[in-house]
Amino acid sequence: MPKCTIDGKEVEFKPGENLITVAKRAGVDIPVFCYHPGLTVVAQCRMCYVEVEKMPKLQTACSTNAAEGMVVKTNSENVKKGRAGTMEFLLLNHPLDCPICDKSGECDLQDNSYGHGSAYMRHSEERRTYVDVDMGPVIEKNMNRCIHCTRCIRFGDEIAGIREMVAVKRGNNVDITTIDGEALKTEYAGNYADICPTGSLTLRDFRFRKRAWMLKKTASICEGCSKGCNIELQHEGNVVYRTIPRENLEVNKYWMCDEGRFNYHYTQDETRVLEPRWNNEKTSWEDSILAVKTALEGKKVLFLVGTDLTLEEMSAIREFTGLYYPGSVLQHFGTPGIETSAQDQPADKILKMTSKTSNLRGAEKLGIVPHNPRVDHDFSAAVVFTGGRAVLPELGHAIQVGVGVFLDKDHQTAKYQHILPGLAYTEKDGTIINHQGKEQKLKRAILPRGRSKSTAEILMLLANKKTKVGVA
Amino acid sequence: MSVEANTPVTKLFEPHFWKDSNRKLEYYLDKMDGYKMAKKVLTEMTPDQVIDEVKKANLRGRGGAGFPMGMKWSFIPKVDKPKYLVINADESEPGTCKDRQIIRYTPHALIEGIIIGSHAIGCKHSYIYIRGEYAREAKLLQEAIDEAYAKGYLGQNILGTQNTLDITIHRGAGAYICGEETGLLNSLEGKRGEPRVKPPFPAVSGAFACPTAVNNVESVATVPFVMRMGGDNFAKLGKIDKSGGTRLISLSGHVNKPGVYEIGAGSMTLRQIIEDLGGGVWKGRKLKAVVPGGSSAPVLSADEIDVVYDVEPLQKVGTMMGSAAIMVCDDTTDMVKLLLRVTKFYAHESCGQCTPCREGCQWMESILHRIVHHPHDGKAKPSDIDMLTDIAGNIGGKTLCALGDAAAGPVISFIKKFRPEFEAYVRGDVKERVRHA
Repeated sequence: MPKCTIDGKEVEFKPGENLITVAKRAGVDIPVFCYHPGLTVVAQCRMCYVEVEKMPKLQTACSTNAAEGMVVKTNSENVKKGRAGTMEFLLLNHPLDCPICDKSGECDLQDNSYGHGSAYMRHSEERRTYVDVDMGPVIEKNMNRCIHCTRCIRFGDEIAGIREMVAVKRGNNVDITTIDGEALKTEYAGNYADICPTGSLTLRDFRFRKRAWMLKKTASICEGCSKGCNIELQHEGNVVYRTIPRENLEVNKYWMCDEGRFNYHYTQDETRVLEPRWNNEKTSWEDSILAVKTALEGKKVLFLVGTDLTLEEMSAIREFTGLYYPGSVLQHFGTPGIETSAQDQPADKILKMTSKTSNLRGAEKLGIVPHNPRVDHDFSAAVVFTGGRAVLPELGHAIQVGVGVFLDKDHQTAKYQHILPGLAYTEKDGTIINHQGKEQKLKRAILPRGRSKSTAEILMLLANKKTKVGVA
Repeated sequence: MSVEANTPVTKLFEPHFWKDSNRKLEYYLDKMDGYKMAKKVLTEMTPDQVIDEVKKANLRGRGGAGFPMGMKWSFIPKVDKPKYLVINADESEPGTCKDRQIIRYTPHALIEGIIIGSHAIGCKHSYIYIRGEYAREAKLLQEAIDEAYAKGYLGQNILGTQNTLDITIHRGAGAYICGEETGLLNSLEGKRGEPRVKPPFPAVSGAFACPTAVNNVESVATVPFVMRMGGDNFAKLGKIDKSGGTRLISLSGHVNKPGVYEIGAGSMTLRQIIEDLGGGVWKGRKLKAVVPGGSSAPVLSADEIDVVYDVEPLQKVGTMMGSAAIMVCDDTTDMVKLLLRVTKFYAHESCGQCTPCREGCQWMESILHRIVHHPHDGKAKPSDIDMLTDIAGNIGGKTLCALGDAAAGPVISFIKKFRPEFEAYVRGDVKERVRHA
């Protein structure tokens, strides 16, 4: 492989790689605003200056490809002056309202200003101000904070496939806005907030709810569909505040859809069932387990697992039914109309899949067959396991037991004689298999809410002959 | 340094200026041997021969950068893709009006040049990007093109050969930045007029992502003369190395006879141009400063003008020839106000794409505004002058396209050469300031 030298270190590179990528490998961080690895290079922000030997002017690292024998300095006096100049220009018209800005703490402008800018300001003119447009329910626009990096414009054009953000006017008055000031239409709008290097585009959902530096971060997987986008759950005090995508070039690259981004809300819904119920009345785990066992005793039971459960949960349920309810049947359910992986197709050109549950491939791998409503009447009782995302089937059984995440607002809870509250995807570890057949790990971000218990524990209680519940 | 004053020069364009009937096809055919060269090139010469001839002619681009034209054409790869010859008629550098003369009086020289150039690079569809303000010129040019179509010089099987060539005029909407070649291409494609990141250069990926040569009107209109005279003879019109042919000079400002003049490249010094062609500084006043190559060229003071007027000599004295637009300032000129006006232009014309130009030009304008309009109320500070130079240093050479350099150059050179005037303003010293007579 060809080699170049960055700050005295010799680095190998693949032809076509730019200096930012190569420098990163050498452990050198080059500050950027407009550059994003998932978008085209425009070299507009002029922050990533480097000095390349034999070139008289400073070069932008994003638009300069590494070449054999190239000698690059990223920390010379000239580079420092260039970057300080750019930082000064960017802050001329920036409101510096970090104390009330949601981006504060995770803001590129803030970080690079500390790293490369000056602590003093020479500018004494009035600042430029804009009137903001209403960009719809997902994104809050604050144009005064914008540094015109055009990442959002390029994201819409190149990734979301919709040209809705544009630059209008010119020179110092350039306004980054939507066409005719309309609300955003894309179903990937949350990414605008992720890629914005300042607080110009922020998530309405997250606005004023938590300071970025207080959040704890857990790398997990989205359960919104069978794509299995890599995400980070950000939480504090056992409350999830935000979901952001994690880079995984094989699955979701750098992006995620709004459906997946805001999916976590149901796990914190105030109507979520967080204690065992018996005929829709709160009860204790002890009574509940005893009652379920009694109800199911000697019955021919239909077990249904949601394809939103993890591989480990499905496997435990399969083992449990085989051991304790021989003769019963285990089937899976999830998205109406999508029963097999063959039916699970891309729902758009970007990320979404038609299967709105994450682990259809997992259920198939364990040999669980799709739910067949025509055999429902063969069984006198049904036990439904769900992670909360799968669409619950209409069942007509006299005895119906629900295990997992149920919401009162879905008007489903009344149909179940018993509900044993389980864990949502933010509260458990496990494995799910995405549409590519890739096994990915869910990670527990927060502790189980209320008195809910893991599927494994519930199965253990149901299997236990004495049914002594230790902790309720 | 001085060049002999009465060097005989063959003038290519100037004799045909100023008469409306000269723009007709008949005139071009009768008086200027029109379209003979185009026919000869299409029937007898290979593209490489044409390019070699242009290289021999030392024909430099007339737009501003002065890039050798034969070289530019030879960069067009011979790939199986459409190729485009785009004519830059977005003549918007303040002070420049030479292309307007060509379009008004010798439009057919341009069209013949396009035919020859298209043959050289393999172009089947050429675009002329003309600035929006040239409404009348766009109409005249279209009339000339229509004449050429009617005679079969354009369209299918042009001049009885197998070649095809169409010319489309595309009118701009009044943006200086669309004179920058990649900004022009974006605008031509219907995008925002913003310069592109280079590389890829237009020769590889230009208009509609195809190989493209972007040439100035004057450069292309000169090509028929190159073919007529032969490259070597044409080169001899220039009196200096690396620059062949003649140059059209737009002379304006405080001279007795402003106008467009044609001289052999490098055949006169700046002083000779001002005194011999322009008839000296007007109203018997003294010369104070000269902006030698369009408003973006760093200014020269009165004692610096004994310099041969061509690309390299001007580079040596720290300025540039640019589009060969000379602006003359007499001794009543308020250089601070002039700089404010120039800076205001660049702040207004910045496309807003890259940071130093978008933010910095406006900032420089604000500071100059403060110096000029608030000399008494303490808003202007002595430190402002050095700050201006520093800001200009942070813009020049650091932007995506050359507009940043164009905005920074005047600021640095004006302050360097006329600092006492700036200081007088900051002090609020009205008496010391230059007043208009």
